[in-house]
Amino acid sequence: MNEYLIPVLLIVLAPVIGGLVYGFDRIVKARMQRRIGPPLLQPFYDFLKLADKRQMMVHSTHAFLGIMHFVSLWFALAVLLLGGDLILVIFLHLLSTSLLILAGYSTRSVFSHLGANRMAISVLAYEPVLIIIAVSIFMINGSFDTSVVFASDQPLLYKMPLAFIALLLILPIKLKKSPFDVAEAHQEITGGVEIEYSGLFFEAVYTAKWLDYIFCYTLVFLFAGSNILLGIGLVVFTFFYLAALDNSTARVNYKQMLRFSLGVAFTLAFINLLINSLI
Amino acid sequence: MNLASYRKKSPWILHFNAGGCNGCDIEILACLGPKYDIERFGMINTGNPKQSDILLITGPVTKRTRERLVEIYAQMPEPKVVISCGACASTGGVFRGMYNCEGGVDQFIPVDVYVCGCGTRPEQIIDGVVQALGILEKKTKALEESVKLKKEAWQEDGQLNRRNIADEIKPLLA
Repeated sequence: MNEYLIPVLLIVLAPVIGGLVYGFDRIVKARMQRRIGPPLLQPFYDFLKLADKRQMMVHSTHAFLGIMHFVSLWFALAVLLLGGDLILVIFLHLLSTSLLILAGYSTRSVFSHLGANRMAISVLAYEPVLIIIAVSIFMINGSFDTSVVFASDQPLLYKMPLAFIALLLILPIKLKKSPFDVAEAHQEITGGVEIEYSGLFFEAVYTAKWLDYIFCYTLVFLFAGSNILLGIGLVVFTFFYLAALDNSTARVNYKQMLRFSLGVAFTLAFINLLINSLI
Repeated sequence: MNLASYRKKSPWILHFNAGGCNGCDIEILACLGPKYDIERFGMINTGNPKQSDILLITGPVTKRTRERLVEIYAQMPEPKVVISCGACASTGGVFRGMYNCEGGVDQFIPVDVYVCGCGTRPEQIIDGVVQALGILEKKTKALEESVKLKKEAWQEDGQLNRRNIADEIKPLLA
């Protein structure tokens, strides 16, 4: 019973923790730019304000797909934290992303279509790397279950450092951070797929972004195994790495992103897989 | 829980240049920079009418932008407030009475706060936004409509186009 307590608490509180992480992220980003930045609870103020707006929707399928994106992402996170199959987790996450892509295509807005196109391309960029990392974990542990990874004494970081570097390289694509934020690109296509959402329905997409933070940091935490201190260290390092990267780089176009992720990150993950399978 | 009190804490701004000289726009962007940093009040420059609360308009309304202005205003979900930034947006400014210019924003959509100045100072813009937040808190979710609804541009212009002018001039030149 006790072993399930922490994962279940994490799953139930995931949107709240994700919101705090997002708020802290905004503060850190502002401090790096020598600004004061918004208060820590800013994402929740946004949330409560959006609930009070007049409700507008493009059509019901569009709104439904947005809400299902949130629900399926939360489900993927639950499977990951409860020790489910890693491949299943990756594909559930892919499902939730593809629901948002479908929502992007279902409207007539050009920006929404562009965003959906770019999001599909960014899925193409990070998904193979994630799969290769999952397979490397299988090579070491003999199981895809994350419960085995959470329970193992020896951290994966020491056995597959190259895979961790590959994960660090694709995390900006997944979290839509600069330099790989073509899918969102606020200055170019003003948010891409989320452009047609408003009010209560935008909240689903906005909150899903917080859940994505928790999802990605849990993936990072996987590399520490049962060593909680190391895990926290890795997560904190990744947090500041992402904030610094976001502030110091400019957006690249989707071709460069694809070339980089499939050329560098995928190669690193694949070399790592080869080494793991040889040893 | 009174949700209306949270409107003050996260006003998202949409900035629209209706055809001005770009002076006020630069001042608005200066508000976002490190010196004035309006993000500390939770304000974001969204660029998306469907998710924003405050419409900041700079520049006089021209014959080309008036329909876009009304369209953007209609796309914003209520409650919303409109701030006209600068002399041009408020009255037409130095462009008033020009052949391509309609004048102030308030002929087309209801304006809540007028900010003076050519170009407006960032401090003035922040003052205007703070005043607008007080208005935003009292607003309801009832539908607000533009003052002047859309009309076909050619129907009410009364403006001669180049071909007409050429036809008039031709006999004089001959």
